[in-house]
Amino acid sequence: MSIRFILCFNKQGVVRLIRWYVGNESSGDTQDVIAQIYRLISSKDHKRHSNFVEFSETTKLVYKRYAGLYFVMGVDLRDDDPIYLSHIHLFVEVLDSFFGNVCELDIVFNFYKAYMVMDEMFLGGEIQEVSKDVLIERLGTLDRLE
Amino acid sequence: MDTRKAFKAAVVSSNGTVIKGLQIFIADLRASPHSADHEKRIKSEIVKIKQQFEASNSTHGGDKLHQDRLGGYQRKKYVAKLAYIYLTSNTTKLADILFGLDQTLILLKSNVYSEKFIGYMLLELLMEHKSVAAEIGERLVPYVTKDVSSSNDNFTALALNFLGVVGGMCTKFAFNEDLVDEVFQIVRSPTSSQYLKKKSVLAFLVLLKANLSILTDNIKRKQIWIQRIVSLLDDTDNYRLTLASLPLVEYIARNIGPSYCVRLLPQLTDILYDCIVLGTSTGKSNHFPTEYKFANMPNPWLITKTVSLLNAIMVSPKEEYESQNSQLLQSANIDPENLGKLRMCVAKAVELGTRRINDPMEKIVQNTVLFSLINFAPKLDPSEVAITNSVDALCELLRSNEINIRYLTLDSLIKLCSSCGKIALDAVRYKNMNLIFHLLNSERDSSIARKVIDLLYILSDKDNVKTVVDQLLSYIVNAKYIPDPQIRSNISVKIAILTEKYATDSTWYVQISLKILSMNFSTSFNDDEVWHRLCQIVVNNPSLRKITCVQLVEYLQGKQLSEFIVKTAAFLLGEYVELIRDIITATDMFNLFSEKYFMVGNLTRAMILTTMMKLHNSAPEVGSKVIKFYQLELNSLDIELQTRSFEYLKVIQLSKISGNNNLIELLFQPMPPFNTKSNPLLNRLGSLPLDTTTNSSPLKEGTVAPPPYTSTASLPLVNVPKPPISRHSGSMMSFPSTTGNSNTLLRGLDSSYADQQLSPNWREGFSRMLQHKQGIFYNSSLMKIVYRIIHVEPHHLKIVLTCINNTEWEINGLSTSVISARTHDNPEYVVQNIEFPSNPTIQPHKRQGQQMEVIIRRSMDVQESPILNINFRCGGSVNNLSLKLGIGMTSTIFHGDSDAHPQQQVTLPQFITRWKALGNTLGKDSECVVESMPMRGLRAPDTDPDSTDILVGQISQILKRMGFDIVEQDTVKNPVFAAGIVHTKSEGNFGSLLKVQCRVDGKINVTCKTTVPGPLSSYIVECIKTTVAG
Repeated sequence: MSIRFILCFNKQGVVRLIRWYVGNESSGDTQDVIAQIYRLISSKDHKRHSNFVEFSETTKLVYKRYAGLYFVMGVDLRDDDPIYLSHIHLFVEVLDSFFGNVCELDIVFNFYKAYMVMDEMFLGGEIQEVSKDVLIERLGTLDRLE
Repeated sequence: MDTRKAFKAAVVSSNGTVIKGLQIFIADLRASPHSADHEKRIKSEIVKIKQQFEASNSTHGGDKLHQDRLGGYQRKKYVAKLAYIYLTSNTTKLADILFGLDQTLILLKSNVYSEKFIGYMLLELLMEHKSVAAEIGERLVPYVTKDVSSSNDNFTALALNFLGVVGGMCTKFAFNEDLVDEVFQIVRSPTSSQYLKKKSVLAFLVLLKANLSILTDNIKRKQIWIQRIVSLLDDTDNYRLTLASLPLVEYIARNIGPSYCVRLLPQLTDILYDCIVLGTSTGKSNHFPTEYKFANMPNPWLITKTVSLLNAIMVSPKEEYESQNSQLLQSANIDPENLGKLRMCVAKAVELGTRRINDPMEKIVQNTVLFSLINFAPKLDPSEVAITNSVDALCELLRSNEINIRYLTLDSLIKLCSSCGKIALDAVRYKNMNLIFHLLNSERDSSIARKVIDLLYILSDKDNVKTVVDQLLSYIVNAKYIPDPQIRSNISVKIAILTEKYATDSTWYVQISLKILSMNFSTSFNDDEVWHRLCQIVVNNPSLRKITCVQLVEYLQGKQLSEFIVKTAAFLLGEYVELIRDIITATDMFNLFSEKYFMVGNLTRAMILTTMMKLHNSAPEVGSKVIKFYQLELNSLDIELQTRSFEYLKVIQLSKISGNNNLIELLFQPMPPFNTKSNPLLNRLGSLPLDTTTNSSPLKEGTVAPPPYTSTASLPLVNVPKPPISRHSGSMMSFPSTTGNSNTLLRGLDSSYADQQLSPNWREGFSRMLQHKQGIFYNSSLMKIVYRIIHVEPHHLKIVLTCINNTEWEINGLSTSVISARTHDNPEYVVQNIEFPSNPTIQPHKRQGQQMEVIIRRSMDVQESPILNINFRCGGSVNNLSLKLGIGMTSTIFHGDSDAHPQQQVTLPQFITRWKALGNTLGKDSECVVESMPMRGLRAPDTDPDSTDILVGQISQILKRMGFDIVEQDTVKNPVFAAGIVHTKSEGNFGSLLKVQCRVDGKINVTCKTTVPGPLSSYIVECIKTTVAG
């Protein structure tokens, strides 16, 4: 079980963060894949739909919307899905602590720092660290480095 | 919110570094909402960056350091802008920013962290594009290698991160041995920080996934590296390294071999127990650090990953027979303590999962744990009650208001049902079918609808199949809202499989199949497999032909037109037109088809042309109409239709000229039966676990191959792969007697037995064990192991081992595994009831016990005695001991308590009589002679004839200790005569006689005769050789 990709976009479908761990295996270009995912997910009504949706022969999406941002993880079709909701939630919590009440603009202006957060938490499609304290301390150090 | 925080963004990370030019650029872009302005701004920026880079390049050729006009900060800023453009254009502007790659590479050389970071960041984004990876992959290797081995940990971390992100997308890295070595150095080195270790482990996993031969090419490296990797899990202080290492260990277990990982079972059990049972207890014993709790649950990530690894190293009793991999653990082989703990974890998770809580995240996390353990539970050989309880708990959750929970519950039910089989299925069927039908009709989410359909599919059996199919049909026909058009196709396929699989009533089968085909979906249900399958079955089952044809005519006469029906009709009615002469005349049939002809696609039209040819052949009265029809179609716009009409006309013409129908008869012979063995529709079940064993229907008996025309009403093409007839009958054959359900810990590690590299000095303990019932098995500066052998029965030995910590430090991560030479195909011995060290830690100078039992079933070679592997860490070093136990045939010579079993002394005449008798009856077959066997620890050969006396004394002593009876006599001093009875569980007991001649050169000649021919005598001599050679 591992994450194939992490994708974050806003309600208009503008990509804020994207990270591939296995490369795009579908036949379409990266931009097509993003467009498909956006269409699939933005059409969902979160009261009537689950946070899981099959996407392709190999991949399903686990996603959650926080304010105007969608966080999506593409995972193997046979993976256990619910843990990825915890992945996403923890990621958002850490972003929140790091930026201090995070909003989309923080991620817009500091996209490279958002990547820094992502890279401290996930690597090679696996979760790397789950302690918020450890993460925040580490990120603070990295952020202050010249 | 945007306006409120518009300016805050730049201020936010005031304590961190800010790239001001980047912030202004982004703010500018956001201020131009019109896309034309936006584009213009981006274009002008790209032009500017290009100029800057070009200027830098032109000066770069010469004196680099002094003339780097651009400077690191500027370069970083521009590269970051390119990254932003790439990202917010949803990657469409890739081509516009590729000019920056060279400058990005220069950033990688920088010694400033933030510059290096931005360089790696952009590359991590772009390497996903194959063109980029091909262009710069090779060039990147030296940069990355340098940073991985850098003395600056932050640089190493960046490079490891880079490998962890792109290692799977560009193989240049995984195939570079130096780079891989560097990464592994960090994994193994006791001095690297935990922070770097975590990153290196995950980077290594990515490299390994890209190139498995990193570990598989070299056996020695494979052993050592895997050992190092597995020992990473010993970090139990905060489980941080464990969490990052679990996926790598699991990958090794799944792709290289589980044998390296089965010994982890007690450790993994402890992790789960700590988290789930201790970590959630409300008492004072709960020391689980809050830092690692998430939504009030102890580390759900650790739990799911641990369970995932357990899943990889264990098989459920049900899978065991089918599994190709005999190295996997089975619940029967797990010691009761750990098995009990694991079962307790499952029970606790079920208890937690059904608790009522309000926080949605907490609910999700709790259920994450619940589903993870319930999916694992079948491997613990659960009782019927435990399965039923799990099913009940899950079915209760199906009523949850949370849509996610319902989805996950369905998923879990599907997995549970397919792995537990009948008990679980019956538990669901018993009272929950209506609930599931209700879900089918009420859910609005396509993911859930799919799961409901999958579950219904699994739940179907011959009793409820009609209800299930009716419900599914009425769903696609009547449902007001179908969340996803694909679902119709999905259901059609499943109905087709179900009807075929469980059809006891052939009319029903035909009815349903035609009904599916007749449904005219405006959707993408455009596949032909369903009607192909129906045609195949009808062709192979003569009894279905007429009823199918009759119904097809009815469909054709009806108003609704489905192209699938027309295709099926075109094929089947043409083939079997004779059968329904009484229902419809050939002329009417011709009219029907010619009417449909213009309502269908070209492919179907082509089929109808063939049907008409068949009509023409069987009913001369339509001959002229058919010819006319073909003549019209000669003008068809479609080349295929034109050709076909032309050819058929020619065929008719030719047969008229020749005056016979030979050609036509040859061309239109009756359809031979199909021999497609399996249903191709089965491939279309998607993610549904393919489990056929749960659905065994009596219909399938004796329908292995598609029989020819003569078959009966049952549907012979239904040939779903059969479940093994009986799992037990198979294993009982290879394990006669009671070992069929033995508790062997490790099964069939034959290859890994041969791979074992024994520790230096293993021989000492090995030979001591053959001679003494207790003593020191192994000793080093770190650890001493003492042993004691207890005879439960002569052939049944209990071996108690005690590990003593010889050091001033704590020994931890202690774990043990036992490897047998053979565990399949009637093994010589089995090892069972292994009790692992109960605690992985030994305090300085303290001890830890463990034990196991060995049953000797047949004659065995002492050289194939079980191997004990012990892994532990001490003072930062990782240690592995691999020691062979000294268990051989002589270990079964057992007198018991000499009072209880008074020994029968063998006298010399008795010995001689038996010796001769054996020689007469068995000859050389039962004899083994080894001359000049050296003895260790003996003084240099002595010319003194008395020296042999000393030797005789020593040999007698050794043989006695081994259990032999020495023939007490004064007649002959040398050789020594001895006798003993060896015991086996399956083959019985055998007598053995020994003659040991001591030589003046200090060596001995040994002759052994046994009461059975074969290798036994040589096995006994081997034991003696091992013992005397020391």
